[in-house]
Amino acid sequence: MNDIKIVAFLCNWCTYTAADLAGTSRLKYEPEVRIIRLMCSSRIDPVFILKALMDGADGVLVGGCAPGDCHYSKGNYYARRKVAVAKTIAESMGINTERIRLSWIPASEGPLFAEVVNEFTEKIKELGDNPTKNEVYL
Amino acid sequence: MDDIKWLQGKGKPGIKSFFQDILTRGLIDTVLMPAKNKKGNSYAWFLMNKDGFLETSDPIPPVMTIQGANILKNITKKGESWSKTAVVLRPCELRAVIELTKLEQINLENIILISFDCPGAYPLTQYISGDQTSLDQKYDSSLYTASFETERNACIMCDKFTGQGADIQLCFLGQSDDGFLISAASAKGKELLKDVNGTNEENLEIKTKKRDELLGQLQKEKNEKRQVILDRFKETIYGTDNLLNVFSACINCHNCRRACPICFCSECYFESKALYSEADNQLNRATRKNALRMPSDLLLFHLGRMNHMSISCVSCGACEDACPENIPVSLLFSLVSRDTQAVFNYDPGHSLEEPLPFVVYKNEELKEYEAHYTKRHQSACNCNTK
Amino acid sequence: MEKIYDSQMNVHDFIKAMFEKNIVSGLGALTQLPDNKGISYSLLSDGFDFQKCMPFYPVMPANAAIAVSKLTRETSPSSPIAVFLRPCELRALIELTKIKQARLDNLILISFDCSGVFPFKDGKYPTEDTLKRYDQSIKEAKINDTIRQVCKGCENYQPEGADIAISIIGRGVHESLALSFATEKGKSIQEKMGLTASEIQPSTIEQLTSDKKRNKQELFKNTQISNLDELLDVFDTCIACRACSYVCPICYCKNCYFDSQTFQYYPENYAQRLNKKNTLRLPLDRIFFHMGRLSHMGSSCVACGMCSDVCPVDIPVSEMFKAGGQNIQGVFNYQPGQNLDEPMPLVTYQEKELHEMED
Repeated sequence: MNDIKIVAFLCNWCTYTAADLAGTSRLKYEPEVRIIRLMCSSRIDPVFILKALMDGADGVLVGGCAPGDCHYSKGNYYARRKVAVAKTIAESMGINTERIRLSWIPASEGPLFAEVVNEFTEKIKELGDNPTKNEVYL
Repeated sequence: MDDIKWLQGKGKPGIKSFFQDILTRGLIDTVLMPAKNKKGNSYAWFLMNKDGFLETSDPIPPVMTIQGANILKNITKKGESWSKTAVVLRPCELRAVIELTKLEQINLENIILISFDCPGAYPLTQYISGDQTSLDQKYDSSLYTASFETERNACIMCDKFTGQGADIQLCFLGQSDDGFLISAASAKGKELLKDVNGTNEENLEIKTKKRDELLGQLQKEKNEKRQVILDRFKETIYGTDNLLNVFSACINCHNCRRACPICFCSECYFESKALYSEADNQLNRATRKNALRMPSDLLLFHLGRMNHMSISCVSCGACEDACPENIPVSLLFSLVSRDTQAVFNYDPGHSLEEPLPFVVYKNEELKEYEAHYTKRHQSACNCNTK
Repeated sequence: MEKIYDSQMNVHDFIKAMFEKNIVSGLGALTQLPDNKGISYSLLSDGFDFQKCMPFYPVMPANAAIAVSKLTRETSPSSPIAVFLRPCELRALIELTKIKQARLDNLILISFDCSGVFPFKDGKYPTEDTLKRYDQSIKEAKINDTIRQVCKGCENYQPEGADIAISIIGRGVHESLALSFATEKGKSIQEKMGLTASEIQPSTIEQLTSDKKRNKQELFKNTQISNLDELLDVFDTCIACRACSYVCPICYCKNCYFDSQTFQYYPENYAQRLNKKNTLRLPLDRIFFHMGRLSHMGSSCVACGMCSDVCPVDIPVSEMFKAGGQNIQGVFNYQPGQNLDEPMPLVTYQEKELHEMED
């Protein structure tokens, strides 16, 4: 398998902070993840996820505050719906939905972030290269 | 003669190997040209470097899927190309590229335009739904003899089927199928041609002459044909009523404008808020005539679009290929553009130096379009226009 | 089930009566253009020769919801306008109203149980013979075998939510109109027209519905995409002309996101991509566009079939999007166009839902 690429869309207040904490705590986790910070997980658009997958990302991780804990009180509920749309479209269009993952990781949970990333990376390694990566006829 | 060479190579594979050759030898870094799609039932545009040159690529595909100028616009709209890129275009695509360059939608820096003696193309739907192998065969065998027959309106009446204006021209007309002429017209082209391994053979002059003869005759024939077809078509559409007949099946999908290389606006005026109107207004319009076709402004769209693009229309026929209702829009737009271009004696895509008619003016011109206020006024100001 | 009344009028008389009784001052319906110039949706007024009005004519030159949206998106009319809509067009109009692209005030929605339409391609209208057979299939409550694929598999062919619903299946288009009035607006029209006598029995449509359901399953099976190769195959001939989005009633955006600056890349970007793959098919984002579009309109897709009609390279877009749309709608248990008050899935949420999507 070529070098893996996982694109992570993380909310500023929880999961991004958790990633920060994981870093400052010097936790080791798989380095394949590329983080894009969103002010709230609800900023995710199903289009972002699909675009990443069509352009060859092996996995897309969406991270936000746990339900009930959203900094903007309800953003993550919308995020969940949007991820649901992206997954459903992936399913309809023959793209492996296991490449999309939604995780709630609170700001204080650096170790959980590392764990999620490790687990997801492992899953992606299992799935192998995203076929769009080298596809010419896209 | 340093600007023309003869390249040996049989048929289409011979032509293709020329591109492979200049890529491998680094004379160009990248090539943009059509190749078969995945299933092989149509063509698509591909940007390829020397490691990615597709076996199925075809510089002269039997069908025009997307107007090449639109593809080149995608790549260079926001800046110049990063590497020396050769772009293989049909003559009409080339003319659209020139127009779009004038409209600042394409940047030709680092781009080498390659065009060729174009036999025409099949209508898109006919090709996709037909038997591609036999269609391909028929097409490829006509390359050197100009004997290709098509039902594609734009191609039937095309009288600008050579790569005139390109940096490099590939010339097949009048040649035997074991090689072709390659000529350079610009500094960029000559620079490239210098390193091409052609045969500067003695009978080059004979070959060139042979092409010129056939070309002269063909161009005359095709031009006459064009005028006849357009004149005949004009009779059928003259007057609003007849014009509406042409558009009777128009479903207002605006796909002609989307396929058109010249219609480059990202937000079309005819889809803008300018044409929104209130419900009562529309009901009034309906009441006045007892009926109003909905969505309204169908003819306004087509006539308005002509205003915007007809001066630069290159008669490529992309609009007709894209029309789901098979309306002969390419005939219509070609007809109108013949007239509007004649007003300014403008030949779209002919030269980069020739400015677009709407951005220049002469102090003394177009008097025949002026009307003086009154006869008295005319004599008072002592104008001596007829 | 609303009661059905025999109006003892054919459709033209019914339209005339509505104008005469000042119930409407305008009417939107499929109409024959003068001098046989084809069929088009038109806004008609009082003085029109309503014999030329053919609301049941089985083609859809454009989804009429777009016409109604263009009519009412700025203001609603100050006097009532009745509009004939097929059930899918009606659903699209309801969706458009939710996203503030149409107004229903002063609109009288007339719909009917639809037997599907013929593909409208290459400007070809159905022949006399085809139309005759179509009428026969309406009478017999059967599925005509040459209508569009999406129509064959359309289960939502009943005019739910219309002010005036016309039942033609099992009766035929030339019989006197069988009307039902489900809404307040409808009931007041019923009164004004004096249509309260002679109830009639609804036709038996169980067989038709189950046939349609079976067709749908088959359609979904035939257009199912299960891996990237199949996805690429389906859209292999796509020329990225965007016609499907332009005729889609739900794709209302004036500036499509996929035509925006976001997806116009710098040359350097092309260079990077080319370096990685050595070969790039252009334009980029061709297939992504379809998936992205599905994500924008899928939850509201009414499966009207316009996208397939209009595709110049005959990709079965609507067949795929019908399945894709229904999958999305299924996730949220959302029925597009069913209820004006039901919020669209992506502008609302429930706290306890979709736990299978998170971890």
